[in-house]
Amino acid sequence: MAGQFSGEPMLDMYIFETTQNIEQLEMCILDSEKSNCYSQTSINEIFRIMHTIKGSSAMMLFNNISVLAHSIEDLFYYLREQKPENIDYTLLSDHILSGVDFIKVELQKIVDGEKADGNPSEIIEAIKAFLSQIKLKNPYNGSEAKEKQELAEQPRYYITPNKSDININTNAFKAVLFFEAGCEMENIRAFTVIHNIREFSDEVYFYPEDIIDNDESVNVIREQGFKVYFKTQKNYKELDAFFNQTVFLRELELVRLEDDTELKGFLTAKTVKAEENPVVVPRVNSYSAETAEKEMTTGAGQSIISVSITKLDKLMDLVGEMVISEAMVTQNPDLNGLQLDNFMKAAGQLHKVTSDIQDMVMSIRMVPLAMTFQKMHRVVRDMCKKLDKEISLELIGEETEVDKNIIEHISDPLMHLVRNSIDHGIGSAADREAAGKPPAGKITLEAKNSGSDVVILVKDDGKGLNKQKILEKAAQNGLLYKPANEMSDSEIYNLIFLPGFSTKEKVTEFSGRGVGMDVVVRNIESVGGSVSVDSEEGKGSVIALKIPLTLAIIDGMNIQVGSSRYTIPTKAIKESFRPNANDLIKDPDGNEMIMVRGRCYPILRLHQLYKVKTGITRFIDGILIMVEHENKTLCVFADELLGQQVVVKSLPKYIKAKRKVKGLTGCTLLGDGSISLILDIGGLVNI
Amino acid sequence: MSENLDRELMGKETDEREEDTQKGRFLTFNLDKEAYGIEITHVTEIIGIQPVTQVPELPDYIKGIINLRGKIIPVMDVRLRFKKNFREYNDRTCVIVIDIDDLSIGLIVDSVSEVIAIPDTEIVAPPEVGKGGNKYVKGIGKVHSDVILLLDCNRLLNDEDTENLLNI
Amino acid sequence: MKKVLIVDDASFMRLSLKTMLESNGFEVAGEAENGYEAIKLYTKLKPDVVTMDITMPELDGIQALKSILELDQKAKIVILSAMGQEARVKEAIISGAKTFIVKPFKEEHLIQTLNKIANM
Repeated sequence: MAGQFSGEPMLDMYIFETTQNIEQLEMCILDSEKSNCYSQTSINEIFRIMHTIKGSSAMMLFNNISVLAHSIEDLFYYLREQKPENIDYTLLSDHILSGVDFIKVELQKIVDGEKADGNPSEIIEAIKAFLSQIKLKNPYNGSEAKEKQELAEQPRYYITPNKSDININTNAFKAVLFFEAGCEMENIRAFTVIHNIREFSDEVYFYPEDIIDNDESVNVIREQGFKVYFKTQKNYKELDAFFNQTVFLRELELVRLEDDTELKGFLTAKTVKAEENPVVVPRVNSYSAETAEKEMTTGAGQSIISVSITKLDKLMDLVGEMVISEAMVTQNPDLNGLQLDNFMKAAGQLHKVTSDIQDMVMSIRMVPLAMTFQKMHRVVRDMCKKLDKEISLELIGEETEVDKNIIEHISDPLMHLVRNSIDHGIGSAADREAAGKPPAGKITLEAKNSGSDVVILVKDDGKGLNKQKILEKAAQNGLLYKPANEMSDSEIYNLIFLPGFSTKEKVTEFSGRGVGMDVVVRNIESVGGSVSVDSEEGKGSVIALKIPLTLAIIDGMNIQVGSSRYTIPTKAIKESFRPNANDLIKDPDGNEMIMVRGRCYPILRLHQLYKVKTGITRFIDGILIMVEHENKTLCVFADELLGQQVVVKSLPKYIKAKRKVKGLTGCTLLGDGSISLILDIGGLVNI
Repeated sequence: MSENLDRELMGKETDEREEDTQKGRFLTFNLDKEAYGIEITHVTEIIGIQPVTQVPELPDYIKGIINLRGKIIPVMDVRLRFKKNFREYNDRTCVIVIDIDDLSIGLIVDSVSEVIAIPDTEIVAPPEVGKGGNKYVKGIGKVHSDVILLLDCNRLLNDEDTENLLNI
Repeated sequence: MKKVLIVDDASFMRLSLKTMLESNGFEVAGEAENGYEAIKLYTKLKPDVVTMDITMPELDGIQALKSILELDQKAKIVILSAMGQEARVKEAIISGAKTFIVKPFKEEHLIQTLNKIANM
C-alpha cells in the first residue's frame, strides 16, 4: 500500500471517514441546491469536509484526491470569506458534484485494492475557472484586501517597549538558522523563532524580513538560511540552548558580535523603523474552563463510537457459537434421565441472557435505510437534468433498519429501479399534462417492517405497465410459460423480471446498459429477498422488494436424511405430517405428489436430490414437510424431524467460491456439534 | 503427532512476529511413498480425522465440511486432488489446517511427519511438465538423501483452470 | 512516558497520530474531536503535549489553544496545520503555540517535534 502506513486499520479508517464525509457533503450540496442557496453553515461545512479530506488523503499519499479537495477547499474558502454574490448555484453544485464523483471513484479503487490513479486536472481546471469567474463578477472584495493589508502591516521588527529600559548589560548576536528539508512553512518557523526571541530581547532584526506575506521568503530561508540579529542580556550558552530548542533546526550558526557594526550596517541598509508595540495580539477569547465545561455537558458528549464491521462480524460469529454451545450444554445427552431442577433453572436463565445478547448484537448491526435512500436524491437530480424531466422524490420510513450486510446488497438494485422509473415510467411534462397529470412526476421510496421482513416500495405516478406490450415482448423472446389468456395481471407484470426481458427498445445511458430487471431480482434474491410488481396503466407502478431483516441468524427446523442433517428456515414451513398412503399420487411421468385437503403438491425426495443413503424411502416411513416460497408450495421428504433451533448461517468461503449448490444457502452447527446444511426453499421450489 | 511438532506449532502461535524464524521451514507429510512439504507459515494446526459432513455437488476431492471448534471449514482429500486412489482413513490420517488469504481449509493426508528447515539453496525448481500432482509443486527440496515435494498452497486451492483442462 | 492529548476532528488523523505516537514511546492520554473536548480533556488529563488541529467544528484549534493557555500557561501545544494556513499558524504561534507541523507530515518529523517539545 502507498504511504507510510502498512497497517490496514489506517486505510480502513481513511476509507470509512472519507466515505462518510463524502456522503455528508453530497447531502449538504443537494439540500443547498434544493433551496437554491448555499447557507453560511453549509459553506463552512463543505470547506471543513474538503479540508479534512485534503489532509487525510495527503497523509495516505493519495495525491490526486488531495489536490482536488484542495481546489474545492479554495473555492469554498473564497465563498466563506468573501460572500460573493451572483453565483450560479447550479453550476457550483455541478462542479462540486463532479469532484465528489471523482473522489468516489478513486475511493472505490482504493477499496478494491487498486491504484487510485485518476487524473483530476480537468475538474480542477474547471473549478479554478469557475472561481476566477466568480472573482471577476465580484471585483471589489473588501475583506481580501483587508486581509492582505493586515498581513502587510505585520511588523518586521519587534521591539518590546516595556523591556527596553533595562538593557544595560546587553550583547549583540547574530544567528543563522537552517531548517530541515521538508519541514514546510519555513517562514512561519522563522516567525516562531522571532516571536520567542522577543521574550528576552528588545531589539531584533532579521532577514528575509517579509517572512509572512512574501512566499519567496520561504525559498530564501531554505537556500540562505534565516538570519537574525539581536541584542540580549543572555549569554552565548543560554542562547545556544534556546536556538537548539527550535524544532526542525538542521544547522545553527551563532556568533557573538564584538560591536554593533554589523548590526548597525544591517539596520541602516533597511531603514524601516520598528514601530511602537507593533504586534497585534488578538484579544484572547475568554473561554473560561467553567463555560467550556458547561457547554460540554450540554453538547458534544461522546455517546457514539464507530466500530469496524469486521469486529461486529466477529462478535456475531462468537454469539452464534455461544448460542450453539448453550444448546450443547443444555441438550447434552449426558443429562438424559436426570432430575435436574436447579440446573434447569440456571439453564433457563442462561438461555434468556444468550437470546438477549443475540438480539442486542443483531440490533447493533442494524442500520437505517436513510443513507441508501438519501443517495437516490442524487440519482433523481442527475437524471432529471439529463432527460429534462421534473420529478420529486419522496422518502417514507427511511428510519427503517436493516442488517448492514443486506444494505450493501440493495443499494444497487434500488438505484436501478429508481432510474427505471424516471427513464421509462415517468413521461415528459408534455405527455403528463396531456394525460391530465401534474407536469412534475413523483417517485416515492417507502420502507416498512412486515414481520421478519422489510418491504421497500418504489412507486411512481408514471405511465404504468402496458400489459399488451409486455405480452408481445415476452412472446417475442419466448418467455411465455403459459397461454397469455390464462395469465393473471400480476403474472403478466412479473414477466418483466425474467432474464432477457426489456420493454424499452432504446437503450438509454441510465437504465439501459444491457442490464435488465432480472439483475435486480438476482441481487435481491442473493440476500434471500424477493421482488414483485404491481401497476395500473396510466396511473403508475409499484415495485416491492421484500428483504429479510437479517441474514445471519434464522429460526430453523432440523431434519434428518440418512446420516445427513438439513435445516429448513422455520418461516418457510407451513406444516409437517406423516403421509397417508391413500393420498399419494404418482403421475404417468413418475412425478410423485400428495393430496392435502383437496389440493395436490409435488414431493421432493431429499435423499434422491443429494444422493444420500438412507433406509427410509417409503413415504409412510418418513415425514413430509410442506414448504412455501412465493406462492409455490412443495413437500420435502425426510427421514425425521429433529427439532427447532436458532441457527447461524455460513458456508466456508472456499465452497461458496467453488460452486453455488442448488437448494443450499449455508450450513450451521447443531447442538451436538454436528453440521447441518441449510436448505434454500426458494431454490428448491424452482428446481 | 510428535512432541517436537507440537512445540513447533505452539511456538508459531506464541511468536507470530518472528516470521523470519519460520522462513524456509516446512511441515512434511506423506501420500503413498512420497513426501510433501508445506510452508509452516500457512499451517494453523494439525488434527486427527473428524466426522465429515458431505456437501452435494462439489468436486470429489472436497470431502465436505468439518466442525473445527465451532468454525466450519472445508476439507480436501489431497490424494484425490492429485488424482491418486482413495484410501480409507485410519488413525494415522491427519487433517492439516492451513490458512491462506483468510481462507481456512483442511488437507487430508496419509500422515504427518515433521517440521524441517530447508534452505533455499537446497530447493530446486520442479521439472517443467509432469503428471498428477506436479502442477501443484513449486519446488523440490533436498534433505539428506530424501526428496520433498514442496506444495504451492495457492495453486492447490485456486487452480481451477488446469483442473477444467483436465476434465476435458 | 510522555502523555499526549490528540485534538483533531478527523478520526483518520487521530488514528494516524495515535499509531505513530504509540509506536514511538508516547502515551496517548486522550483524544478530542473539537475544541471544547480538548479543553475539557486537557484539564482532566494534564498531558505533557497537545497536538492541535486548526480547522475543527464547534470550537476551532486556535480558540481552544488560547483557552488552554489561560488555564495553564505552561501548556505545550503543537499545532497541526496544512499548507495554505500560514496566517492561522502565525496567529497560533502568537497565541502561544510552541511550534507546528504541516500536514502531510512524516512520522519522523512528528516524533522529532514532539520529543523536542515534550522535553523542553
